[in-house]
Parts: sequence; structure tokens; C-alpha cells
Amino acid sequence: MSIVKHAVIAAAGLGSRLGQGKPKCLVEIEGVKIIKHILKQLDQVEDVRVIVGFEEKAVIAELKQLGRDVIVVRNPSFRSTTTLHSYTMGCQHLTGDCLFMDGDLLLEPESFTAFLASLEAGVPKLALTKTKTKDAVFAIMEEERIVGFRRQEPTEFEWSNIAWLPVDTFSTIGNTAVYEHLMQFLPIAGHEIISYEIDTSEDMALALSNTDLFGLKKLAG
Amino acid sequence: MVRSSTLATAPQIERRTFGAAAPEKRTAFAFDLDGTITRSELLPMIASELGLEAEMRLLTELTMAGTIPFEDSFRLRFAILRTAGLDRIRSVVAEVEFDPHIEAFIRENRDRCFVVTGNLDAWVQPLQERLGCRFFTSTAMMDDAGNVTGLASVMRKNVAALELKEQFDRLVAIGDGFNDVPMFDVADVGVAFYGIHNAPDALLSVANYVALDGKSLCRLLSTL
Repeated sequence: MSIVKHAVIAAAGLGSRLGQGKPKCLVEIEGVKIIKHILKQLDQVEDVRVIVGFEEKAVIAELKQLGRDVIVVRNPSFRSTTTLHSYTMGCQHLTGDCLFMDGDLLLEPESFTAFLASLEAGVPKLALTKTKTKDAVFAIMEEERIVGFRRQEPTEFEWSNIAWLPVDTFSTIGNTAVYEHLMQFLPIAGHEIISYEIDTSEDMALALSNTDLFGLKKLAG
Repeated sequence: MVRSSTLATAPQIERRTFGAAAPEKRTAFAFDLDGTITRSELLPMIASELGLEAEMRLLTELTMAGTIPFEDSFRLRFAILRTAGLDRIRSVVAEVEFDPHIEAFIRENRDRCFVVTGNLDAWVQPLQERLGCRFFTSTAMMDDAGNVTGLASVMRKNVAALELKEQFDRLVAIGDGFNDVPMFDVADVGVAFYGIHNAPDALLSVANYVALDGKSLCRLLSTL
């Protein structure tokens, strides 16, 4: 069991780099939409909030069909805002700690569950994953702690775009990249998980060559 | 005259204040009745008693889609349904099922929960008794014998919402229909309810949140 009560999933973006013309959370891998896969990993979290923007009706229809009692938060300004803005909208009015994550992730269930189980109240933690691509946010580590981020010169780990943080981390409106906003809060503890993001078609190909990791078969159909 | 259909294209106004919540602020909740608190639409239920389901369904669909303004539609529906007689209508209305989560939330927060419905005061009186909170409704003209003789006023939800805004610091509106657009326009936070059916696009476009069922709606409301 984990102590996670609130989770905010950012699923408002256009996903233009992947170029499938639909929200990335609706992209199917082995017949399973990514949002279904992510909600499965969060099935013990009471309060899940999904931020929608691009093609919001399609995302809402999918959420309704999945039958999970999530709360949908609208970000009508998704075209001109970053994920940071969605996170601020998603956790507005909440208190305490919240899990923040992107809606385009493929997670290896055991490692993600272990991450959730490791979380403690009031202790920020970011999930890291082995560096896979050149276009990532690389973590500069000192032992178990993240002390910096950079976009150049890959390190051993990249940030998975999953964070356990107090909601007041996102209490002010910002429109930078999330990692840039998080710099001011470093050092933050890191925890390794196995995850794949699908920002580009290269990412997608990489994820597709590792589909056995994500426990998708039992969700298909 | 304010017609809800003219408001549909109004741009969404961001009224949210980001930052730490201010707990000292008094928040009121304005709920639509039909298809939000009730799990069935009341007017079609009454129509079914009279064998006029098809006629009522057509009118309801045209109204939900925004083709007929709510006020005209309500006058038409009133004209059709009033023939049933007040006692018969009330006995049908009294039987309607509430969403249990929403009913519990209203009972626990009676002093700041309000029902804002286009439905008629005389018809929905049994539900006001069941919920025990204040209702804003369309109003009937009654004769001395207690019979409904006509319509005195048709609810415009922005009017009720403005009155609540005078009394409270903040208003959260919850609804599922086209006639909730003017209420969302006035409210600080709008929650489109998809529990029974999807809300029309016009309402979605002015909503801050979408709740997919009564349970998650109340979880959201308890944090607002």
C-alpha cells in the first residue's frame, strides 16, 4: 500500500512531436490505450485528476468508458501553456502531497508500485529512469539525490516526468518546463523505475520493442 | 431578454485565483436538479404517466441541444403536462431517485447548498421536502383551491446565481444541461456533470471541471 491520495495526470497537450493527431494518452500500444494503462497503475489512489485540453471530448469519452471515477480538469489554454500550468490547475484547492505525472507514460508495474510504496508524507521524490534518448531531461546525481538537471550531455538517468511533491510546489502560475520550475526545489530524492515516454516516433519504436515490460496483455480487449 | 442560446458563444472567463486556498471564504453550491441530483429527468417521467413520452422526448432533445430556448420549451412542456393535475404530478415527482452521493453531500451542507432548477415550484415541492435545502425554481400561478392556473415566472439560472453570489464569497455551479450555461457564466467554478448523460458542448466550454459520476463529483466539491 502507498500513502498516495491524490494523483494529477497531465493529458492536455497536442502531442505534435509524436504526430499521431490525437492526444498521446489515447495512443494504443498492443490494443491498450495509454490512459487505461496509467489508471490501472493508480487503481489504489482515491483521487485521480486528469487535465484535458486537446481533443478533450475524446479523452473525456474514454475516461467515462473506463468507468474509473476520475475528476476531469479542463485546461482550455492548452495551446499556449506548458505541463506546469496543467499541474497548477490540477492540484488547485488540494492540500498535502500529490503525485504528478504525464499522461503519455508506459510503466513497468512492479517498479512503479515500488516507487509508490516508497513515498512518504512531506518528502519530495522524483522517479528516474535509465537514460534512453538524447532529447530528455538528464538528472545530475549526488548519491540518491538529484542536485541538477540538464538537457545536454546525457547522464545515467533521465527524469521520468513523475513526481511526488507538496501541492504548493505548483502554487504559482508558471509557463516554463516543469523541470526548470523544479530546479529551485533541488536537491530532491530520486528513485529508479522502469518507464518509457512516447514523445516522438523514435520513443514509440523503443517502447514497442519493450512491450512485454508493461503488463498490457491483461488489459487488452 | 437573456436567452441561454445567446450565451453559448461567450468566451470563457478565467476567474480562478491561483495560490493557496483561502479557507475563511464562504462557498455556496448551486445544483441543477434534473439529471444531476435526480437520476431521471422529471418532465419525461411525468409525460410517461400521460402517455406523451415521444412528444416530450423530442422537446427535451431540442432543448438540451439548444435548438429551442429553455424558456419557450418550458412553456410548451408546461402546457402539455399541466393537464395531468397537480396531485398526480407530485406523486410521480416524489418517487424520483436521487444520486446517493449528491443527496448526502447536500444533507451535510444544507446551509450552503441550493437547487437551481427550471422546474416548477408546485411540481418539485416533494423534492424540496426530501432534500431540505432552498430551491430556486420557475413559479406557478395558483388559484384559491390550490390548482396551478399558469406560469408566473420561468427560471433564468443566472438570476439565481447572482443572488447567491451576493450572499456568498464564492459560487460553485453543478449542472448537465444547456440551461446551466448562464449559471456557469456567473459562478466562480463550473462543474459539468456527466453522470447520467454527457453535457452539451456549450456547457463543457464554460466548465472548469467535469465529474463523471456522483461519487467523484462530491469528492471534488469537498475540496472546493
